[in-house]
Amino acid sequence: MTSPTIAPELIENELPDPPCPPQLVEEMLRHFARSIKTHQLYLPNNPIYQRAIENLRAAFAPIWPHTQEIVLSITEADFRWLGRSVMHEANRAESVPWVFFKDGVRELTMMQGIEDDELVSLLRILQRVRNAAPEEDDLLTLMWEQEFTRLRYRFVDINLDAHPSFDAPSEPPQERTIPIVEDMRAEEAAQPERKSGIVRMEDLDATLYFLDEKEIDYLRGEVAAEQAIDLPRNVLAIMLDIFEVQENDKVRDEICGNLESYMLNLLAAGAYGAVGYLLSETDQLIGRASALSPVHKQRLLALPASLSDPAVLSQLLESLDHSEVIPKQSDLDSLFDQLRGGVLGTVLGWLKQAQKPELRTALERVAGRLAAANSAEMVKLIGSSEVSVAVEAMRRAGELKTAAAVAPLAKVLQQPNVELRQAGAQALAEIASPGALKLLETALNDEDRDVRIIAVRAIGIRGHRAALPRVEAVVQGKSVKGADLTEKMAYFEAYGALARDAGIAPLDKLLNGRSFWGRRAGPEIRACAARALGIIGSAGALESLRSATADRDPMVRSAINRAMRERT
Amino acid sequence: MSTTSAATATGSTNFAPPNVGERGSDGFVRKMGREFLLAIYGALRTVKMYPPDNPVVQKTVQEVVRLANELLRVEREVELRVSGEFIFINATRLRLDLENYASFSRIISAFRDAGVGLCRMRDGSATRDWVVFLTLLQNAAVGDQDGRLYALGEKLAAAKITAFELGPPTNVDEELRQKAKEAAKRTYAQSVSVTKDVINSVRMGRSPNIKKIKRVVQGIVDQILNEETSLIGLTTLRDYDEYTFTHSVNVCIFSVALGRKLGLTRIQLYDLGVAALMHDIGKARVPVAVLNKPSGLAEDEWRLICGHPWMGVLQLFAMRGQNDIPYRAMIVSFEHHKKTDLSGYPKHVRPRTMSIYSKVVAVADAFDAATSRRAYQNTPLSPADVLQEMRINPHRGMDQVLVKAFMSLVGHYPVGTLVVLDTFEMAIVNAVNAVPEALSRPIVRLISDEQGNLLFPGTIVDLNQMNDAGGYARTIIKVADPERYAIRVSDYFV
Repeated sequence: MTSPTIAPELIENELPDPPCPPQLVEEMLRHFARSIKTHQLYLPNNPIYQRAIENLRAAFAPIWPHTQEIVLSITEADFRWLGRSVMHEANRAESVPWVFFKDGVRELTMMQGIEDDELVSLLRILQRVRNAAPEEDDLLTLMWEQEFTRLRYRFVDINLDAHPSFDAPSEPPQERTIPIVEDMRAEEAAQPERKSGIVRMEDLDATLYFLDEKEIDYLRGEVAAEQAIDLPRNVLAIMLDIFEVQENDKVRDEICGNLESYMLNLLAAGAYGAVGYLLSETDQLIGRASALSPVHKQRLLALPASLSDPAVLSQLLESLDHSEVIPKQSDLDSLFDQLRGGVLGTVLGWLKQAQKPELRTALERVAGRLAAANSAEMVKLIGSSEVSVAVEAMRRAGELKTAAAVAPLAKVLQQPNVELRQAGAQALAEIASPGALKLLETALNDEDRDVRIIAVRAIGIRGHRAALPRVEAVVQGKSVKGADLTEKMAYFEAYGALARDAGIAPLDKLLNGRSFWGRRAGPEIRACAARALGIIGSAGALESLRSATADRDPMVRSAINRAMRERT
Repeated sequence: MSTTSAATATGSTNFAPPNVGERGSDGFVRKMGREFLLAIYGALRTVKMYPPDNPVVQKTVQEVVRLANELLRVEREVELRVSGEFIFINATRLRLDLENYASFSRIISAFRDAGVGLCRMRDGSATRDWVVFLTLLQNAAVGDQDGRLYALGEKLAAAKITAFELGPPTNVDEELRQKAKEAAKRTYAQSVSVTKDVINSVRMGRSPNIKKIKRVVQGIVDQILNEETSLIGLTTLRDYDEYTFTHSVNVCIFSVALGRKLGLTRIQLYDLGVAALMHDIGKARVPVAVLNKPSGLAEDEWRLICGHPWMGVLQLFAMRGQNDIPYRAMIVSFEHHKKTDLSGYPKHVRPRTMSIYSKVVAVADAFDAATSRRAYQNTPLSPADVLQEMRINPHRGMDQVLVKAFMSLVGHYPVGTLVVLDTFEMAIVNAVNAVPEALSRPIVRLISDEQGNLLFPGTIVDLNQMNDAGGYARTIIKVADPERYAIRVSDYFV
């Protein structure tokens, strides 16, 4: 590389007097180098980052009273200011001057005010350049795009030829006389009327050339619309159009290859909506394109299939979980809508794995849509060996009231895993078909209290009278006494709902009666009986409740009042 | 790697060779200057509508004073200069776009009517100074230019206003013009060289250097933003042997210049420029023998030529970087032969809306192609005829508003047009007249005298100039064919 000739080195005694001690510039550059590292390591809201930027800004302050600009010439290892080295860094991996030098920047002028906003933009650019692949934009392009106002730079463009050839005329035109006068006279004589090339005054109407307000508005609208174009989608449409119109195998081969690699680019860029569009359009194209060879058809079909692979999809979800921005729900929906079977299991598995609440929320909706569209797969997943997947599948089956899920749910109720049995019971409670309620009857005997509560509540709410004998046996038996208040209440509520007026007498006995020994039932049982009577809500039930309004126990009185208030 | 000496750091206009440059220096002036002019425009309006002590006048003029002081603080001296259609603050030309079109025109008119070409501002100007100055500026005396300027100076002196130093209009500094021309030549040559390199690389199956493409487009954008005339003048080269390459560069230049008129930002112009430069890249996939066949294309060959837009899409995709897909270039490549009703070629299947960038490139492409000599077009059409055809023939499928904007860009007589004047002198159009009402009276270079004697390099004259009798000194009466008189138009631009 040739050394720049911008700042020829001067011998020591020829150096111009600096307007301020060079140490101030050295100090500023030290902070500059530190800020570049900090920018790479920390986010802008990090206190360490903020302190580094503050220190850098502060380092400019003592310089500006002496000069309004700092002109730094750049060599491979140095920043030089007025002929003096103010930063030397021989190690290229660490060197700030080298970052500028390698891309052709030979002089940098920082003007007063650069520290306000533009410094951070410069740090951002330097970070991008340090991490850039060789084919990516270099420092000159990034600085050009930024359009700095307080930073001036001079450069040698190492990409361009310094002496481009130019086919300039080697000699001026020879002296001669053009027969224009004769030609004009001849033309006038031959054709007095207008010939092509003769100026017509109507062509010179200036209004033809000036845009009016409406036209300016139209152009403004077009420019705005241009900026709103969904570029990836537009280009995909073009590629697919070419595929459809050009039936040449080589062209289609090339496009298939393009689509395969482009889909990965789009996924990496988080353009999920565009991928969804690609898959949806591909699906339609397969059914429509003429002369589609089996090879090309297979390659197109492979696009959604490859993404639906659990391992690939997990990668995608993992990258989503790590990305800063969660894509729009509609984009995610359009992508997942196009994926093939087997996807639901992966998504359901990720509902628990996802760290980001926003992603979980988005996946919840995706899972709901997928389950609704693929009920057979959802039912199958109820038997998944992964508990989280099976639980989520049961949840969706319940939400969607999928009757086909009852059979696998029956198996779930036999599982030793309590979490599965609870989810299964809950799903059956929501499905609430006769078959589901029948299964819930058996769940009343489950050893888990939550399973029993889910079952008895569903039986009560759905009015599944076939279960009355079992419920009655519990309410009037001794086993209920060992249950906690929630379970007792669930059984009594179900009893009230199922027994109706036939339950008044036994409930009244529990609320108002005494045993042979003159003892009354416990307050929890009396409160539960009051609640059940409230649910029955008939005149007889109210009468029974009124008789107990003077109960000494506050919990019972409260239950009675509530029951009378809310009687059904 | 190239070796080169560095550009000198004089001034802020980037006229350095394309591989040596200076950037970023005039950003502040451009930004602040634009605000300053918008403030002057606002103040001119309020001064005209309300009495001087009206709060609205005071407020708008105070903003002018604030911005003037801010400019003075940073730049130390501020000179507002009107030259043709351009406004300069110190050495920086301010950009004209759709947003500031009205304000710039109004200020240019006010200065011209008052015979003022430049106004140097002194530190410490007060609100009253500006109110008086702007009021007098809008009440210019009648008479010749010098007389109007003198009268304005006298009135300012009588009002004891010393904050402004006024001067007559000056032509753009000849040295600056020369520098711009040299820079334009280098940018143009560099662009042709890079385009050739890219297309040849593609033909040989090598990966073209994308960075080079970006750099030359950046150069073209900078050049158009700084001084477009020189670069547009070079589009007249239209070298037959290098047609494919010069055509791409010309389309890029016209597109960026038209985009500037549409008010596109610098980055948008860059995107448009890349798309325009690459619009015919698909031709690199068409055999040279077919491209250069003068006539009698077989159906297969014709289909190949018509396939270049979609081939361009595939080629651009193959040239993409890891995270850098040239989306707009791909869209423009696909659409540049489509008409605004989306007929034309290639066929599309999915519903689409034509991009404004494609419409711009379509106009630039059609103009340059029709005015160039190429394999299957021995006689190029005159620029004026082409413009007229684009305007009056709806079957061309051009966006008519863009055609209109293009015509106002290139004038009635586009740069490079050979014309005959009523003096029987011949001239080549050198630039569009900066006076908006004088589109039919461009700046020309006289290339022959009244007897037909060829002149080189000839002299530049403004066809809007009057003679002593109060009429125009010269008027175009005819557009002529350069080939008929064996005149190589480009000799006068290079």
